[in-house]
Amino acid sequence: MQIIIVLGIPVLLALAALFIKKQRIFSIINSIGYLAVLSESLLLLKITAVSGSIKLYGDFIYLDILSAFFIFVISVVAFASALYSIGYIKKDIEKNAVSERKSRAYYILFNLFCFSMLFVPVVNNLGMLWVAIEMTTLISAFLVGFYNSKESVEAAWKYIIICSVGIIFALLGTILFYYAFSLLGGAKSLNWSDMAANAAAMDKNILKVAFIFILVGYGTKAGLAPMHTWLPDAHSQAVAPISALLSGVLLKTAIYAILRFGIIVIKGAGFAYFANLMILLGLASLAISCGFILVQKDLKRLLAYSSIEHVGIISIGFGLGTPWAVIGALLHIFNHAAAKSLMFFGAGNIVSVYKKHNMNGIRGVISVMPFTGFMLLLGMFALTGFPPFSLFISELLIIIAAFTKGTYLIAALLLFFLAVIFGAFIYHFGKMLFGNLPKGMEPIGEPLSGKLAFIFLLFQLCALGAIVLFIKKDLIWAAWILFQS
Amino acid sequence: MTELILLGVLTATYLMVIAKRMPALIRSFCYQSFFLFLVTLLSGFMEKQADLYIIALLILVSKVIIIPYALGLIAKKINIDDNLGLFVNAQLSLITALILTYCSWVFAKTLGFGQGYQLLAITVALSVIFIGAFLMISRMKALTQVVGLLVMENGIFLFASFVSNGMPFFVEIAIFLDVFVSVIIMGLFVYKINKLFTHIDVNKLSRLKG
Repeated sequence: MQIIIVLGIPVLLALAALFIKKQRIFSIINSIGYLAVLSESLLLLKITAVSGSIKLYGDFIYLDILSAFFIFVISVVAFASALYSIGYIKKDIEKNAVSERKSRAYYILFNLFCFSMLFVPVVNNLGMLWVAIEMTTLISAFLVGFYNSKESVEAAWKYIIICSVGIIFALLGTILFYYAFSLLGGAKSLNWSDMAANAAAMDKNILKVAFIFILVGYGTKAGLAPMHTWLPDAHSQAVAPISALLSGVLLKTAIYAILRFGIIVIKGAGFAYFANLMILLGLASLAISCGFILVQKDLKRLLAYSSIEHVGIISIGFGLGTPWAVIGALLHIFNHAAAKSLMFFGAGNIVSVYKKHNMNGIRGVISVMPFTGFMLLLGMFALTGFPPFSLFISELLIIIAAFTKGTYLIAALLLFFLAVIFGAFIYHFGKMLFGNLPKGMEPIGEPLSGKLAFIFLLFQLCALGAIVLFIKKDLIWAAWILFQS
Repeated sequence: MTELILLGVLTATYLMVIAKRMPALIRSFCYQSFFLFLVTLLSGFMEKQADLYIIALLILVSKVIIIPYALGLIAKKINIDDNLGLFVNAQLSLITALILTYCSWVFAKTLGFGQGYQLLAITVALSVIFIGAFLMISRMKALTQVVGLLVMENGIFLFASFVSNGMPFFVEIAIFLDVFVSVIIMGLFVYKINKLFTHIDVNKLSRLKG
């Protein structure tokens, strides 16, 4: 039942956006809708934690705690984005950057995009999973190219082409999984639940080859290192609330897909194979993003590269594979989504006031926009894994796991890259946030809805870190799903 | 019979590799899709499955008629010279295509498709996929990348139908729809690029760096 509400609300909102002409009224309805989605997703989390997996509509929908967790993450960021959109789109209309008519198109696309992302974790059929992920690309390409400037259309083109090619390889991998499953004889099916149940008997070699294709395919979408080239362009050119969705949760839906296939591979071909690949790609992502973060000049690209870094950390966490590392990685998925959304909202505010992305021209943010500046400062510490925030806990869990497992090299590299990135962030943001009030600028008030979005995300960042110890039982359970064999 | 059609698919793919102008490329794609239609029709006939007839019909309508027509229309409408802008010249491209075909054959064997026409089918399918990818990276014009993607998609379809007698029916339909939508959207973007930049040379899209 909850799942129908979660999936239904975005569709209804997309339809409503067609008819409600008053942009202001609709933007508020939109946020209320996503509040409802968020509350339902919490309920879903509870249900799946208590009763295990649920199958609905002739096995079409399959939910376990892993899917519920991803739905929860998506709805948190979607709600924050909907809140932030109220003020952001209003300002865009006032500045004549978009017309009232186009703002309706924005809300239609926003809702369709959220729907397609929420659809990814609920489908059981791996072919439909592929379709859902390709749908997210196609819809969000419009949101990346929304302003129709040369840069944004270029970014959208690269995004749609690179991700489509990547994802075709994922389809090849999916077919190979299907082939491995059909070799067993018996009923043919593309359902994940059936495949996972029979994974141990599948042909090891085919699974191994297939997983490479999956990793290349969905890894492109997730922003893992050698395939990440579309990511900084798309994330830096999209509308600010959409950048948050792209960075915060779109990448995570691809990780979800990798995990689903990963579970089959772990059962069928052993854990070491999965682990080595994930750790290799994770370290490559960290190394590459670290270099680009150091020399970055563009604010939004800086945040985009930081997303690659965090995806790398998450992938290392899953690759290490001890229960605590997996909990750390899952937590990190949530924490990064919240922190990165907060940062993109802040960057959106900065760009709309200063009218430039280049960090060399941005000074004294705290004196121009005290609230945003302060939130960005906190967000920066959160993102780099500073103690009071929950990213510290998740990163610590992964690093501890690396040490206890005896993989000292991985732990050392992880610590090294994190330290360098921390320094780079302090340097970049210190220069931007502090300093005198620039000439010709005055302190500016900010819309209440935008502030609410910041506070909501900051609350998530602090609170989840604190209550992790209370809900860790459920998370351990989720981690266990990965290692049932 | 199937073997002959499969070789037809491969030949059409080679024709694409040596095509220097847009209309030739689109026409070869049309041939390739037509052979794909024949393969699907034939296997529907041999296995007596109604599903396959529907899918064959879908291929005929979308990939043989509508998509090539739409691509031709876009190419005409943006009104640029229809040279593809080869980064790699035709002869070298053909040699690369042959090497890719050989690699596909080796790959198909290692995957364990060692017997009969299934080996041929998988080899053809894989080489179509890889050659499609090669077309995408070695041609300048944005429209070629759309065609390259469609070629890869055709290869995937062929692969799926010979590896395990096709995917489940509704998945196949969903993928079809998806590809159709994506071609429309990409066409739209090609149009937008042409309007903003007054060219569709992908190698000149270099405003975003670092």
